[in-house]
Amino acid sequence: MREKVIKILEDVRADIDFNNLDKKLMDDEMLDSFDIISIVGEFNEAFGVDISVDDLLPENFNTPEAMVKLIVKLQQE
Amino acid sequence: MTFVSAAFGVFVAGISILYFCVKKNYRWIVLLLGSYFFYWMSSRAFTVVLLLMTSVTFAIGKMIDTRNKKCAIYLNGHSEITSEERKAYKQNHKKVNKHILIWGVLLDLSMLLLLKYFHFFSENVCELFRWIGIPVAVPEWNLLIPIGLSFYTLQAIAYMTDVYRGKYQADKNPFKFMLFMSYFPQIVQGPIARHDHLAKQLYEGHEFDYKRCMFGLQLILWGLMKKLVIADRLAIPVNMVFNHYGDYNGLIVLFAAFGYGLQVYADFSGGMDIARGVSQIWGIDLQLNFKQPYFARSIEEFWRRWHITLGAWMKDYVFYPLSLSGFSGNISKKARKLFGSNMGKKIPSFIAMFIVYFLVGFWHGPEWKYIAYGIWNGLFIMSGILSEDVYCRIKKKLGIHEERFSWKFFQMIRTIVLCSVGRLFSRSENLTVAFLMIGASFKGFFNVAFLIDKTLIRLGLETADWIILCMMLLVMLGVDAAHEKGIKIRQTIAKQGIVFRWIVYYAAIFAVIIFGIYGSVYDSASFIYQQF
Repeated sequence: MREKVIKILEDVRADIDFNNLDKKLMDDEMLDSFDIISIVGEFNEAFGVDISVDDLLPENFNTPEAMVKLIVKLQQE
Repeated sequence: MTFVSAAFGVFVAGISILYFCVKKNYRWIVLLLGSYFFYWMSSRAFTVVLLLMTSVTFAIGKMIDTRNKKCAIYLNGHSEITSEERKAYKQNHKKVNKHILIWGVLLDLSMLLLLKYFHFFSENVCELFRWIGIPVAVPEWNLLIPIGLSFYTLQAIAYMTDVYRGKYQADKNPFKFMLFMSYFPQIVQGPIARHDHLAKQLYEGHEFDYKRCMFGLQLILWGLMKKLVIADRLAIPVNMVFNHYGDYNGLIVLFAAFGYGLQVYADFSGGMDIARGVSQIWGIDLQLNFKQPYFARSIEEFWRRWHITLGAWMKDYVFYPLSLSGFSGNISKKARKLFGSNMGKKIPSFIAMFIVYFLVGFWHGPEWKYIAYGIWNGLFIMSGILSEDVYCRIKKKLGIHEERFSWKFFQMIRTIVLCSVGRLFSRSENLTVAFLMIGASFKGFFNVAFLIDKTLIRLGLETADWIILCMMLLVMLGVDAAHEKGIKIRQTIAKQGIVFRWIVYYAAIFAVIIFGIYGSVYDSASFIYQQF
């Protein structure tokens, strides 16, 4: 799942190396609000989840690992 | 009692003495009493509005929180229920919570709409009736707007929504919550605080710290300098052009708009520095509201650096909910069929962004000119995103390197020009005047004689004043440039020898005393954002 997540992230922001991050994606404003909405749309479609506005917290979007964790959690619900 | 009055200085000194004299556990009470005293002195009977909004917000937060706890207890105590039943219970629980939240938001917003926007709506509805041939008189409604209403309404909505989203628990103590809503350094013009950032800092008592106190005082001094020496001095020529707009055309109109932008920056960020400096004395760290906006390379970036807490509020409570709503989902589906997959995904976000900038404009004031100001900015941001691909191809063909200084400089100047034209909307008397001024700016555009003839002097400032102004503007932008490079100026000064340090402090103190505008030419007491 991680590879698929990275692929989606790279499609949205090709200029960021998501495998070697030294900053937090949301807290350090590496992703803007427009990127976040695009990523959420792609995740919903690719993983069959429904990420709501309540899930748009930095702890869910700061790293690819956090995103994977969120998707797994939503899939189990 | 405004931030630049002597009374405010005495008041802050008095609160500081009391704050550090009482026991740590009771220090928040000093801030609460001080905040209500400050608000009462500024708004008198309108203190009732603040109390009412605080009560509604506290009650709604408590109600949602209690229900959340009951839901968790029920689910934990009934492990026998199936996952479908659990899901249905949660959904029903959330639905009721949502209704409670909507009522809370409507109640808080109704106070803002009634006091700030009622006249605008009634005037426009009456105008519409007159247009279709039914003469209707506009009802008399000349209420004053309570100070800080636009700011603490947003703070209240953020609090209730965050409790609803489960970001944090509701406040338990109504008196402490009263302090969160009324904390006086930030109630007048922000920053728009979030409960999880500010509340704990307010409630816990902080020990006196000499270094922190000195840093706070330096920040206050810097804020006073920006407000009294730069903003209030710049206001004189800017007001001259905008108040007699018929007499000016060509580049001088844009020059005035650019000057107004700098005036607002010095005024608003100066006020923020005073608020942050006062708070720092007591060990309270307010959120940053400005991040060197004049170094932005696009309008989108400008709004990420300008009035940061308003932008963050709009993102969290308007942009995200709108972009992820069912309504947006339906639009996206239809747009994909019409415009293809890529554009179909973007359209709902564009609509949400348009609404955000419409609201940003409208939040500034109940006038069409503010709405136009918001839309002007929003349209440029959207067009920037839309034309990104074409833009990249052009840059590639022309061999432009993104990181070259010349390119960055061009982008900064372009952003400043676009923002300055936008300022013509927000500062003009009304929308018609704004368009007239934009039109006038094209007449004799290349006539730069006003820079060397006596035109500048006739704008109300003497040559010496222009020199002081230019020097102080360079200092302000120089400080911004240093911050941009990550230099922490107060820490750097603190590391210097005592003689150098005190030369800097005295220079700043005397600059405020000697060069500050205190006369009757311009009302130095009022901050621009205070009226919003």
